[in-house]
Amino acid sequence: MPKKRVGIFSLTCDEGCSVYLTEIFNKKLLEWLEKIELVYFLAIKNHTDFSGLDVALVEGVVTSQKDLDFIKKIRESSKILIAMGTCAMTALPSGQRNNFKAGQLEAIKDHIDKYHFLPKALALKEAVEVDDEIVGCPINEKKFIEVFEKYLD
Amino acid sequence: MHSCDLDITVSKLAKIEGHADLDIKIRDGRVEDVTLRVMENMRFFNQAVEGQVFKNVPQLVSRICGTCSIAHLTACIEAVEKTLDVKPSAQTMILRKLTMYSLMIRDHALHLYFFVLPDLFGLDSILDIPEDKKELIHEALHIKEAGNNLSNLIAGRAVHAPFEQVGGFSNEVDKTKIPAMIEELKSIRQYALNLVEIFYVCDWEFKRRTNFVALATDDFSYLEGKIKSSTGAVVEEKDYWDHLHSVVLPYSQASGFEFEGREFMVGALARLNLNKESLHADTKRDAARYLAVFPSDNIYHNNLAQAVEILHSIDHAIELLAKTEFKKEEPAKPAKLTGEGVGVIEAPRGTLYYWLGIDEGKVRYANLVIPTAQNLVNMREDVKKIVGDICAYNLPMAEFEARIKQEVEKIIRAYDPCMSCAAHFLKVNWV
Repeated sequence: MPKKRVGIFSLTCDEGCSVYLTEIFNKKLLEWLEKIELVYFLAIKNHTDFSGLDVALVEGVVTSQKDLDFIKKIRESSKILIAMGTCAMTALPSGQRNNFKAGQLEAIKDHIDKYHFLPKALALKEAVEVDDEIVGCPINEKKFIEVFEKYLD
Repeated sequence: MHSCDLDITVSKLAKIEGHADLDIKIRDGRVEDVTLRVMENMRFFNQAVEGQVFKNVPQLVSRICGTCSIAHLTACIEAVEKTLDVKPSAQTMILRKLTMYSLMIRDHALHLYFFVLPDLFGLDSILDIPEDKKELIHEALHIKEAGNNLSNLIAGRAVHAPFEQVGGFSNEVDKTKIPAMIEELKSIRQYALNLVEIFYVCDWEFKRRTNFVALATDDFSYLEGKIKSSTGAVVEEKDYWDHLHSVVLPYSQASGFEFEGREFMVGALARLNLNKESLHADTKRDAARYLAVFPSDNIYHNNLAQAVEILHSIDHAIELLAKTEFKKEEPAKPAKLTGEGVGVIEAPRGTLYYWLGIDEGKVRYANLVIPTAQNLVNMREDVKKIVGDICAYNLPMAEFEARIKQEVEKIIRAYDPCMSCAAHFLKVNWV
């Protein structure tokens, strides 16, 4: 069976889920590498082409136009798209700005305009179709293994 | 000497924490400009912490950085405690040291094995490592796992640790697990020494006169001490803002810093240059040959310094676990609910400053100074010098550009920059 092509992507977030994923890797990486080809994961390799993916794991929030373009491209490139962690599922904590009061909004306005932020920070499913989700901040280890391994056979 | 004009852009630097782009402008064979752009989107934590109850703020700022969440958590807790006159117990301080050691072990191992080793072997990724070196992957995973298990045992989790709180730790240490934890730490000690050896024999060298700054702690535990610099400054934690100055970096979602008007470097190299005498006795005994390297102004010795810190973290953690009788404690309570205070610790990448103002238990303002932001000016100057040096060789054009990209990425990686963190500079509300 050909290896599943996997990409790991970070939108706007603290990258805690992908860091925690490298901890899950301590026990699971060598086993998974029998079944997957890690095509895209900027944390450990400098390879930026991610066409023809089987599984895309995405952490983070869609907060800027750049994020939105990127998640659309990931969606087009992957059969399965999995939202990884609380940011990707709920848009928090970046989405705290969605509920800012007038004074707080005024303080961030210039930045929002200059860097082409969207009017509201979005969870992945508000931007593209999402096939599966993994809860937790960071991702719950058991849940990650359970969900990810569903797509490896 | 190349008399060429060349614009080089590296977008999305790989094998660093977070997103950064780099632009280099060469005109007539001279480096005209170097721009390191932090490309992390702001998440506006400075506004988001305003008005929050002090107890909740450490877990909120933990989300600034997944990699070193424990550093943000610990520095913020210290700032809250200094502000509200909370006196943590001796056991709490030991648990915090163990938590910091678990972070250093994991975080430095991730950087050295996954980000730096590929450069050393001329590979893109540690996963491409040749068969005869495969044991290094096993050693990497074992070291990280031991750090991860230490985080789990003491603080509940490696990322966004739930047990570490204002005034103390919410959960009692499971004493039945301590013997196995000590054995696991002993089992990775040789791997740490192997790693130290790798970066000791590594012949990478880049020197440029600069200043080093670190919080010097008397047991090298990253928590309490005085801020020292290689120019001889000794500064109390609470007075840091008289010595650090923000520098605006155009085109970047971050700010840079100067210490007493000069660029400087923070991180493992600065700590070893300023405080190697305070390392654990076992580390000093077994790493004596390597420690003779410090003080060093070779930026690549930051990698060696990180490897030494993994060893120290193992050694001191073993001692603390073996000799402490852990017991259940109630968290220390605040003596007041209004005030201002400063928390300073050494995070994996350097000195991390938190300054809080709290009114009636709610945060009025917060000001953070992030290690990577402090290193940005120094990094930019190093990149300029490296590119200038390469311009002076007469390399063929194709090789010229490739060489610049390679060397520049290598030096940036040596700083172990964290762009997620660098994008957060909480603005100062002058009061």
